[in-house]
Amino acid sequence: MKSFLENTWKHRAHVVMALPVFLILFFIMYVPMAGLVMAFKSFDFSKGIWGSPWCGIDNFKFLLASKNTFVSITKNTLMYYVIFTAVGTFLNVVLAIAIDQFVFKKVAKVMQTLMIIPVFISYAAVQFIVYAFISTDTGILNNTFDMGIRFYSTASWWPLILTIVKIWNSVGYGSVLYMSVLAGIDTELYEAAQIDGANKWKQIWHITLPSLIPMITVMLLLSVGGIMRSDTGLFYQVTRNSGVLYSTTQVIDSYVLNAIFKNSNFGFTAATSFFQSVVGLVMMLFANGMVRKIAPENALF
Amino acid sequence: MSKRKGNAADLAPSKKEKKGLGQYILGFFLLLYTLFCALPVVLVFIAAFSDEKSITQNGFSFFPDKWSMAGINSVLRYGSQLLTSYGITIFVTVFGTALGLLVMSMFAYSISRKEFRLSKFLSIYLLIPMLFNGGQLSGYVIFTSYYGLKDSLWLLILPLCVSTMNVIILRTYIANSIPNELMEAAKIDGAGEYRTFFQITLPLLKPSLAAVGFMMATAYWNDWQNALLYITSDNKKPLQLLLVNIQKSIEFLLNNSNVPASARAAMGGNIPQYSSTMATVLVVIGPIMVVYPFFQKYFVKGLTVGSVKG
Repeated sequence: MKSFLENTWKHRAHVVMALPVFLILFFIMYVPMAGLVMAFKSFDFSKGIWGSPWCGIDNFKFLLASKNTFVSITKNTLMYYVIFTAVGTFLNVVLAIAIDQFVFKKVAKVMQTLMIIPVFISYAAVQFIVYAFISTDTGILNNTFDMGIRFYSTASWWPLILTIVKIWNSVGYGSVLYMSVLAGIDTELYEAAQIDGANKWKQIWHITLPSLIPMITVMLLLSVGGIMRSDTGLFYQVTRNSGVLYSTTQVIDSYVLNAIFKNSNFGFTAATSFFQSVVGLVMMLFANGMVRKIAPENALF
Repeated sequence: MSKRKGNAADLAPSKKEKKGLGQYILGFFLLLYTLFCALPVVLVFIAAFSDEKSITQNGFSFFPDKWSMAGINSVLRYGSQLLTSYGITIFVTVFGTALGLLVMSMFAYSISRKEFRLSKFLSIYLLIPMLFNGGQLSGYVIFTSYYGLKDSLWLLILPLCVSTMNVIILRTYIANSIPNELMEAAKIDGAGEYRTFFQITLPLLKPSLAAVGFMMATAYWNDWQNALLYITSDNKKPLQLLLVNIQKSIEFLLNNSNVPASARAAMGGNIPQYSSTMATVLVVIGPIMVVYPFFQKYFVKGLTVGSVKG
């Protein structure tokens, strides 16, 4: 113990340098963790979190009783996680291989620059772009193909629309990581395969894909940790937060955001948040444990 | 696919020789995907300079009947509010990024010192927020009613300032790419800890600071959520909140057909129109489009570093 204190005193400069982040994390991240006790309280804004009376697990009973909302937002959250992860990973890999195989490197570079741009546009701006394409009267889709579809009041269209927007937003960017793996493949492998008479497809199947598998596995596992969280802007902004569409577009994060603005249903929301955080924690520990078994160097901790 | 000919050309890099039909087909598909990504952004430009009438009559189009500067002009008519919002966004972005980079690199440097025994604890302390967090509701209640920071710019800055992932990227870079001997040597030459950090480590950290910095800056620039949650007064509104408000007021006009004509007229130039809305979008996303190509190589590198944790 004494030597520990001595060591700390000797490194006091490091303590000082670590202090700002320590404090910011404490006030911004750690204190709100304690705020999760709201889930077990009958929250009243005027009494504050600590002053509000305890109510045991009433909020959770309420949660299970009002099945519709809770089940629907959880279902949507999971559904979009699965769709985005499956489609996203597949396209990331395909795009990375395509760009890697393309021999006109300068053209590929310019294309890649353009493909990454959407990730830097906020959803607050994206929603206007989406509107320009799918609005009923002025949208390009309805005008070009004369479909007259009321996208903004037809919930069943939105899983498709949001998936397309998500692909547009993130695939170009997501493929960068896989490209860096491809750049590391020893070219001699390809040359040897060529001499053995393997054509391009066989090379991709037997050399390129296997070398991507570890990275794909790690990214998939790590993403499991975020299973309960969504890209809030996509669901809140792009759908224009339209109540008609909630049945297919409302996820946990956007539900909580709405509850805050409407200043209502705090017990329910707190219980949902608690559920979200705990499941998130369990999934994160699970994901990291798996990565640790498969590729320890990529584990987070 | 050309067959290998077994002559001297074999020694040349193998990629050079295959510009066959397959490449052009591949190129065609890549071009399609590039257009899919780029055209929506192009549409923003076109719509911003389209004549309002051609949009209301024929809808948005890549080939408007008539061009017009009216959209851009009406954005400029927001005048002081646009300038204020620009000022707020730029301030939050620059100050937040600079502050974040400074404190995170100091922290990363500290926990990368092997002889520093507290660093184990600090690493775990850093990691926990990534695993578990209080969620939006509890954050909202605590920031507003306990810290009393409602309508304060600090709530635009601090929540995005420190992220576990970014600290890990910086720490990895320090551990893998900056030789420890350099820092040892500086100490032997009599430089103190702070001087070693600021004069040796920080300058060598530049590539990863650029990568992390660019990511942070876009996150600040694009943050609408914290602004929507916390900012209420006009003189603290960042650009993204301006966009959100435009959408809200369109909705209000659409949903309230009983707003009297005189009131609409009184709002005059403030009734958001298609072209001026797109012009606003253009003004908001423009700076990132301009800056991004210069940082591309850094953040590609930064992403890669982040994925291979040391």
